[in-house]
Amino acid sequence: MSRKLARISVIAALLALVMVAIVPVSSQDMGEVVPPIIVHSVTQAERPIEYETTRLVVENMRELGLEVEHRAIPWAQLIDEIWYSRVEGEGRAERPFQMTHWRMVGRPERSDPDEFTYNLFHSSVRDGGYNFVGYNNPQYDALAEAQRVEVADKEARLDLICEAQQVIRNDMVNAYFIHPLTPQVVNTAVFNPDSIVSQAGIGVHNFWTWIGIEPTTDDKTLITSTTSFLNSFNPLEIAGDAPSRVTEMTWDRLMRINPIGVAEPWAAESVVWEDPLNVVVTLRAGMTWHDGEAVQSDDAAYSFEAALAGTTQTDEEGNEEFRPEAPDYHPFARNVANIEIIDDLSLRFTLKTPSAAFETSSLAKLNLIPKHIWEPIINDLLTQDDADVDSIQEEIPIGSGPFKYVAFDVNEFVFLEAFDDHWARPKIDTWIMNVLPNQEATLGQIQSGEMNFLWEWPGDPGVLQNIVAENEHLDLFSAISIGFNYFAFNVRYAPFDDVTFRQAVAHAIPQQFIIDNIFNGLAAPADSFVSAALEYWRQCDDLPTYDYSIEGARALLESAGYSWDDDGRLQYP
Amino acid sequence: MNRGVVYYILGRFLQSVMVLWIIVTLLFLLFRLAPSNPLASYIDINFTKQQEAALLARFGLDKPLGEQYLIYLLNLLKLDLGETFSYSGKSVMDILRADLPNTIYLTLSSLLLAYAVGVLGGIAMAALRGSAIERIGTTFTLMTRAAPQFWVGMLLLTFFAFQLKLLPSSGIAPAVVRYRWETEWDKLLSPVFWRHMILPTFTLALYLHGLPLLLMRSNMLEVLDQDYVTMSRLAGYSEWRVMIQTAARNAMLPVLTALTLGIGYSIGGNVVIEHVFSWPGLGRTLVRAVQQADYPLAQGAFFFIALIIVFMNFIADILYSLLDPRVGASAQAQVS
Amino acid sequence: MQQDAMAREGQSGKPTARFRQGSAIRQLWETNLEVFQRDKMALFGLLIFAVFALVAILAPQIAPNDPLNPLKNNNGDWIKDAMPYWLAEPGEDEAEGYTNTFLLGTTNIGRDIYSQLIHGSRSALLVGFSAAAAVAVIGTVIGLLAGYYGGWVDTILMRAADVAFGIPFIPFIIVISAFFDPSIWNVVIAMALLLWRDTGRVIRSQVLVIKEQAFVSAARVSGASDLRIIFVYIAPSILPLSFLYGSFAIAWAILTEASVSFLGFSDPETISWGYMLQDAFNSLALSREAFYWIVPPGLCIMLTVMAGFFIGRGYEEVLFPRLRRM
Repeated sequence: MSRKLARISVIAALLALVMVAIVPVSSQDMGEVVPPIIVHSVTQAERPIEYETTRLVVENMRELGLEVEHRAIPWAQLIDEIWYSRVEGEGRAERPFQMTHWRMVGRPERSDPDEFTYNLFHSSVRDGGYNFVGYNNPQYDALAEAQRVEVADKEARLDLICEAQQVIRNDMVNAYFIHPLTPQVVNTAVFNPDSIVSQAGIGVHNFWTWIGIEPTTDDKTLITSTTSFLNSFNPLEIAGDAPSRVTEMTWDRLMRINPIGVAEPWAAESVVWEDPLNVVVTLRAGMTWHDGEAVQSDDAAYSFEAALAGTTQTDEEGNEEFRPEAPDYHPFARNVANIEIIDDLSLRFTLKTPSAAFETSSLAKLNLIPKHIWEPIINDLLTQDDADVDSIQEEIPIGSGPFKYVAFDVNEFVFLEAFDDHWARPKIDTWIMNVLPNQEATLGQIQSGEMNFLWEWPGDPGVLQNIVAENEHLDLFSAISIGFNYFAFNVRYAPFDDVTFRQAVAHAIPQQFIIDNIFNGLAAPADSFVSAALEYWRQCDDLPTYDYSIEGARALLESAGYSWDDDGRLQYP
Repeated sequence: MNRGVVYYILGRFLQSVMVLWIIVTLLFLLFRLAPSNPLASYIDINFTKQQEAALLARFGLDKPLGEQYLIYLLNLLKLDLGETFSYSGKSVMDILRADLPNTIYLTLSSLLLAYAVGVLGGIAMAALRGSAIERIGTTFTLMTRAAPQFWVGMLLLTFFAFQLKLLPSSGIAPAVVRYRWETEWDKLLSPVFWRHMILPTFTLALYLHGLPLLLMRSNMLEVLDQDYVTMSRLAGYSEWRVMIQTAARNAMLPVLTALTLGIGYSIGGNVVIEHVFSWPGLGRTLVRAVQQADYPLAQGAFFFIALIIVFMNFIADILYSLLDPRVGASAQAQVS
Repeated sequence: MQQDAMAREGQSGKPTARFRQGSAIRQLWETNLEVFQRDKMALFGLLIFAVFALVAILAPQIAPNDPLNPLKNNNGDWIKDAMPYWLAEPGEDEAEGYTNTFLLGTTNIGRDIYSQLIHGSRSALLVGFSAAAAVAVIGTVIGLLAGYYGGWVDTILMRAADVAFGIPFIPFIIVISAFFDPSIWNVVIAMALLLWRDTGRVIRSQVLVIKEQAFVSAARVSGASDLRIIFVYIAPSILPLSFLYGSFAIAWAILTEASVSFLGFSDPETISWGYMLQDAFNSLALSREAFYWIVPPGLCIMLTVMAGFFIGRGYEEVLFPRLRRM
């Protein structure tokens, strides 16, 4: 009796095992209807353009026979449901995200293709980093790593970058559709339009404009505004677009990205590579901090040491983990193995591995900070478990940049004035940025002259074009951005784990229609994570195209074995 | 002041404290319902799980609910509302302390304007009862109460700020002016500040004047019916004097109570107007905090508004019982 | 609401409403009849509601276009920022490849404003009437129970009312709307949770008066149960008062829904007048002086809210005759 029981239980157990093994397969059984899909975006109130684009694409996806829900939520919540909901069970949302509208913004240090090439798709940053879509392709990983260390031969690196773009475009990991032509408006009645510099991929709101713009009246004040947040004034924190504008002027950098997108020496007089791992940097003589102290090589060294500083802690499971005190800048300093001070003005950086992007994404990225101010702060932070530099706000921020601090009211305004002792003193005397979340107010102020430089415009670009047409004193500038808008697919799960499915969705995105109607022409078509603004890195063979065609999308699905049921709903092969 | 009154005030005070405590508890529970991670707006997208855990610990969010509640209550007693997530290095109190005066200036100036116009208008309407002017006037007042405030604000903005370019469209002053303000006095003495206040004040007053006007009108009509008014008429006083001196004075009491209550409720209701005019007050901060998922800040702003309302309700109760001896303590419940 | 209650009660310590005797249904009917016979404005209010209700029911038939999908011209592009046909320059539409038949023009992404306005009446009335019903029912029941039973029931309910009075209304709704997925029902729920306070208090004080009257004592002597006394004998007398508060609640709910939508906490797939104004504000209709976009939704809100006021005042004048215009 008991043997029989045992046999039955063994058989039952085996059956159960088989069932378990079969279930995941059968969940995609032949002919099963593709379950409803949720497409995320921000709310209409927050960013009308992104909301409308998503709405349009969702409508088109429905024509493929999909049941699609458009979920529009505030940005803070979106981060939660996308960035922190990548895999089953991890997220705070009920399930991992499937597809979302997303954008990467243009920043000067993104002028080198390395950041996007590596961080967006390398499998090592899949769990917590920028590769939130979960792309995992060893062949691609190899390319991304190879371009990073290809220091000597720029053309060889170009080939690698081109191949990487081909792979991503073929695999349709992200459906790129536009690079925005960031529209910016300047009051040319008070500024000389010829003194405004347009930086490749960034636009006219850049460091070179801030220091070079010539006022034509006695009032030498530049007033601009931001619709987003101005929540920190900190050289060791990357808090967003608007705070970055402020920090890049208040704190100098060893190198800066010039208007054509190449790093050139700035606070450094020279940057000399001794070999692919060693670089000697010599500072300009006679520079001072805003408090009058001299800028010396130990300050420069400390600026990198602060970004490298941190403590190693052990969590409950016994895993050791390094916690940097400046988590935002740590990744950009991580490749530095050693810093040696040669004399008062020169120092040598030794790298762990050769890096093609070191000048762009480290020397031109890290802010120079005064050691006499920051060393005590960092040392204090090192003794605390749960605080980092993000919790620090200096009473009077001290840098050595061409502008110095006058006043700062969190999320209200920043007030800077020209630093007279700087070797590249700006032509304007004061630089002010107001926080104006209300776009209507922004428009009112640029027309009335209350504001004279509009650098950021999340609203309908057509409105801006009309305003400029109506006001003689206003000029519109626009430049194709390094950044891009796209739809990101979570490639870990069905149906987006299937390349054909993703390609079909890409065919359902009416690129030109979006450019004409939603962006009013102020956008350029995108097909890659490397913008057309970075001309050198786009000298590749043509990338695959995905023309807008619902029929084409349906044909593609059909050829891959997808079918439609009697109600017209899409079924898995 | 007799002993009964003192007991009454004391009782009312204790009751208000109880009410506040319940509201605060509800608030605590309400914010546990929040859809996203309580740190959503704080967390950087480069953070690791360990860094997150450390943050949760720093804000006390890893403790059991009961303990969190106790900490929350104790901190409230110290008026410590915690740290904000979206403004680095600032506490919730820092932000709210800057917002509160702006909200109060806007509320008080619009209420004063509204009540001045409302009381005079109410007397006029009562004096002109039955005339065409009265009908038009009352209808206009009803319309201002029915029109959404933000819409009226939008129309005024379009006209005065965008078309005529007479008045500024938003904020309290340009940064060029603001950075020189060291104290609240500097702000109050600045003409620029007052110019920025005109449109929002007027918009609010347009809405708020309806209540005192209608109240004053109906009170006047009632008072005018009373014997003592008829007496003074018979005594040969001019109609003007009867209206103002005798009738209006008696009709004022309830209007005063309404004004007290109005302060609290306007502060809660200003949210929309502050949004339209980008007025940096409690309401705007509340809306932005909710949008950014900065829950400590939203909770703090909510608490502040509730505190003011409960306090004003208390004052109104006291005023009512002191000013109007006809009302015994038992009838208090009827005055909302 | 709060302040409307004040406006009525402020003039004297204890307002006494007129009560009718006789069969419950008949007296209710008579009161309602009297309100609309006596007060032309109340009748006008009723008419406004009737018209909007008709529009709401027939919205898909009346509206010439879909309220959400942008209109397209012959080239398939959106017809953006079209002026109303009676304002537009003749010939402009043909040049752009469409025929301008839009009574109120189109939005910046080519949606038909007139169709949106018609569809907007649906959410306005839906929110208005369901919130009013919820507020009136909850407030009436609480008022009846507190007034009739007195003692600890009264104390607890009235302290709860105190709490409801201390919670700032608009902020509360904003938080509720942000915490739950956007839907017009958030406004209804939040109103039901808070606004019973006015109705509850006033009805309670009326019940205190009524329960001392002879017909209630008679019912008690004849052995009627408490619930029977409350709902059969007392309730009909105070129901007109519930209607009064209900009418004001309709107005208040429509205004509140508009404010919440305007702040961007509503569901963008449900067109409401408040949403339209939010859309106009964020799409910079002000600086474009697009009055044809800004004015109509506001006027509709104002009209429906006034309708609620008119009806409420009608009840007020019948129930509190001393207030009547002299």
